[in-house]
Amino acid sequence: MHVDDLTLPALVGGRVAVALATDLYQQLKYNHQLASPLTSYLNLQEGVFLFKNGVDPYFGGVFRHSPLFLALFTTLIPTSRTICSLLWTLSDAVGAWALVQIWRARQRAPQTSRDGLVAAAYLLNPYLFLPTFALSTCTFENTLTLLSVMFAAQGSVSPALLSAALLLQLSLSSILLTAPLILLLANSTGPVSQLASPHAFASNGRKVLPLVAEYVAYVAILSLASTLVSGSWAWIPQTWGANITLPDLTPNVGVWWYFFTEMFDHFRPFFLMVFSVHLLIYVAPVCIKFQYDPLYAAFVLQGVLGTFKAYPTMADIGLFLSMFAVFPELFTYLRHPIVTIFLHLHAALLMPLFHHLWLSQGTANANFFYATTLVFACANGAALTDCVWAGMRIAIGQPQDGYSVVQE
Amino acid sequence: MNRIRALLRPDGDQNLARIQRRKRIVSALTTRVHLIKWSLFAVGYLWMLALPSQRLGRGTYIDENALQPGQVNTYWNWGDVANADRYLEQLERIRDANETILARAHILATEFMKLGIPASTQSYRFSSSSGIVEGTNAYAVLSSPRASGTEAMVISASWISRLGEGDGSLNLRGVATVLALARFLKTYSLWAKDIVFIISDGYMDGMQAWLSSYHGLPQSNLEAEELELPSGVIWTALNIDYPGHSFSHLGIFHEGINGRLPNQDLLNSFSYISRWTGGVPVLMYDHIETPRFEIPAWIPQSFHDEIRNYDYRSKNVVRHIGYQARGRGSGVHGLFHQFRIDAFTLFGVPATGPHGFYAIGRIMESTLRTTNNLLERLHASIFFYILTAPDRFLKIGSFLPSAILISVGMMFAGLKVWSDAAWIRVAVAEIEEKEKTGNGARTQWAQRRRPVIPVLGIMLSTHILGFLMFAVMRTPWFINNPTTSSTILFTICTAIPLTALFTPNQTQNPQTTAPTSVLLKALNLCFASTVISITTVVNFSLAMVLTIFLAVPLCVSAPSPILPLRIGQYGVYIVLALGWLCATEEVRSALWDWQVLGVWFAPFVCVVYTPLVLQAAIVCLLPV
Repeated sequence: MHVDDLTLPALVGGRVAVALATDLYQQLKYNHQLASPLTSYLNLQEGVFLFKNGVDPYFGGVFRHSPLFLALFTTLIPTSRTICSLLWTLSDAVGAWALVQIWRARQRAPQTSRDGLVAAAYLLNPYLFLPTFALSTCTFENTLTLLSVMFAAQGSVSPALLSAALLLQLSLSSILLTAPLILLLANSTGPVSQLASPHAFASNGRKVLPLVAEYVAYVAILSLASTLVSGSWAWIPQTWGANITLPDLTPNVGVWWYFFTEMFDHFRPFFLMVFSVHLLIYVAPVCIKFQYDPLYAAFVLQGVLGTFKAYPTMADIGLFLSMFAVFPELFTYLRHPIVTIFLHLHAALLMPLFHHLWLSQGTANANFFYATTLVFACANGAALTDCVWAGMRIAIGQPQDGYSVVQE
Repeated sequence: MNRIRALLRPDGDQNLARIQRRKRIVSALTTRVHLIKWSLFAVGYLWMLALPSQRLGRGTYIDENALQPGQVNTYWNWGDVANADRYLEQLERIRDANETILARAHILATEFMKLGIPASTQSYRFSSSSGIVEGTNAYAVLSSPRASGTEAMVISASWISRLGEGDGSLNLRGVATVLALARFLKTYSLWAKDIVFIISDGYMDGMQAWLSSYHGLPQSNLEAEELELPSGVIWTALNIDYPGHSFSHLGIFHEGINGRLPNQDLLNSFSYISRWTGGVPVLMYDHIETPRFEIPAWIPQSFHDEIRNYDYRSKNVVRHIGYQARGRGSGVHGLFHQFRIDAFTLFGVPATGPHGFYAIGRIMESTLRTTNNLLERLHASIFFYILTAPDRFLKIGSFLPSAILISVGMMFAGLKVWSDAAWIRVAVAEIEEKEKTGNGARTQWAQRRRPVIPVLGIMLSTHILGFLMFAVMRTPWFINNPTTSSTILFTICTAIPLTALFTPNQTQNPQTTAPTSVLLKALNLCFASTVISITTVVNFSLAMVLTIFLAVPLCVSAPSPILPLRIGQYGVYIVLALGWLCATEEVRSALWDWQVLGVWFAPFVCVVYTPLVLQAAIVCLLPV
């Protein structure tokens, strides 16, 4: 057995040991950077309790998780802390495994020497393991994202579309990823890197329609199942609707909450529309530009989601950063990696600090924390624009003396 | 019109113009990085020197309208002063009879109960590596006659005065003031908040035990009785320290542990009341405004005031930095801030006159009436300030940039080293050599690899070394044998990085791979810059001290080709990194502060500061 085969199990074992041995949940459960109102474990417990006692959890505006979580946690899984810690860690393990599979599919190799590194990039990323310790349900969103990308990369149509539909149940904004996923399934070149040789979309456009139809069917079935579980349609405005109407202004690492605390009520609908449409705007250009490599388009859109979605957590951008491991061909073409890294370091240190100064120590105020979320957004924006640049720059080839590349 | 258009859009290739423009800007900046860096340093350090100047900063003002300081009639009178004198006589008897700590606390609690105020005592015991500290606090809770007691104000006095930083002088008049105030305040029904009277034992330890129990925060090395009397959320606390026979001025001590400061409104209200209600001049600390030197005659008369002012204020600023940078509270009040309680100490500067119980009683009464007015916590963000004089302060915007500029300079320096590491001049290959017509050996720039992993490994191991060093320092062995243990620690920490000398000289070709020392220097500078700019908002004084100790030394670290010189450089950095081990007394008190009060200074120095300087030392040792 090769040493690299042992890396993933060893890392998972380490993570399980830490999850069981420490009680980080107690220290992290109220942390706004790790869990948003849509993913917080505390809210999930509240909803499960209400549901078990015959009260509609979607009445009252606390519970915003999918009804599928209700079904899962009231029947199959008891809400014991140890079992939950294990379940969340295993979900991360599945995510890491899926990332390794994506990497292998992209390299078209059954096994590579970098497999362990790719797994480590996922399992040792603090942006990812801290939300897991806080039992934030965004861990499951990440795992489902990776699973659907993995199935799409391997060409398994139905599993890919089903996990994408499941992902949509958990988070409405993930609808951005469906476009590159479907392109990846319809693509004839597969997940192999095409960045160095751009060409028009290599497939028959007619393949797309049945894929979309299948996806819509899955979404419809799952929505119906959700309605059956919760007993009414009330879950739709409370879960999906929250992504658009932003009812809960609890601080998080995104750029929405502060903007809407300062907003006059009569401008609110307009700016909600602007912010939501702003997210959608990216889909078409990114998918058109990277039509020859839809996997890369999915990666870029994940970065857009982590930076601009309505209720982001550290985990959303953490997934984007960990996915860099799958695209090593980028590294030499990044323009300012060290600047991005230090921006991230500043943001990652300042955010908990200002959060503490504002909410525990009481000497600062909301503006401080918001300012650091802006630093964080800048760091994410720097990473995002840099990988868009690098993704397109690869096609031009190695830099040569006396020539320089300019963007028109 | 056409001419304007031509100016805006010149002919020729737009993209070419853009590339050239960008190249011009980039090269203009990169060739001047050293100039930019040193001028940022110069501006930053000059700014720091200018902090005490009267031209920076502004007069204090009351931000919170609800406070209304000095707007009430005070009723404290000579009868109450006589009561205070009776209490003082009793306390002197206790002192002279050499009562046990427990008996003393019970007598104090009984005095409160005689007034009809529920009172109790609390015994505690701290164990730290330097020994055990025991004591008993006495406290009383006067329930608010007007409200439900969800909020409270604290009036406290520690048994030991801060005179000489708690070296043992007793705070008898402070305690007497608290007792007499309890008697006096009970007769009025205007209190909207509970009033908690605390006579804490010892200097800092008693109040730490009381506050930990009050807020239900268990501390592993503290055994304390539970408090029997509950009260509400404490908003403000006034700590009285009156060690002398009389006082001439009242001094403000406001720095809390870990660099926390109370809301400035509280201090400003007190200054205002003291000056206009009590008629007592206010000082920063115990700094009486006396000229420290003769101003030479050749300086024009018009500058004399400014120089005197600068001298006086710089004394205040330096004292402030001394407390804040070490995270050491300047008195018992410092323990309150961690629980979001605004607190400060009124210090009666010992003198033969003219003020005494009469003045301090009136000032306390009026200040309590002011804090009693609060409807919400003091919240406006005037938590970030430097008081240069009792009536002048620096806003955050007028001191923060000084340290930030230096940190930016360090970041530039680090990025410059990093980007330079990627390039090397190599001789052009033979074939091209023949084609050239020019003179001398032609060279061209070639790119090389910058492996980061070994550098990060070195950085991580220095931080682990710092952590291990701190673990050793927490043991009783270290405290009990300060000289031997410091020497051993110093030797070990000096010896371990020396292994860098024996790293093979040419593991990788410098033509294709950047040397480790250069990369280490780059990341060390960038990381130190990050640490400094983040520390500025939590503890500006600490960040300022860091800029002084780190900025220039880290920038000039470079390996020298001559071995003895290399060792010499290394020695200088080692002294900078570990020299503090010689200050045994300082180390001892920093460790006590960490173990008993939770002051972060000692672990910060061991785990962050020392490793950063050690990294610079290793830069000097590594092969060129």
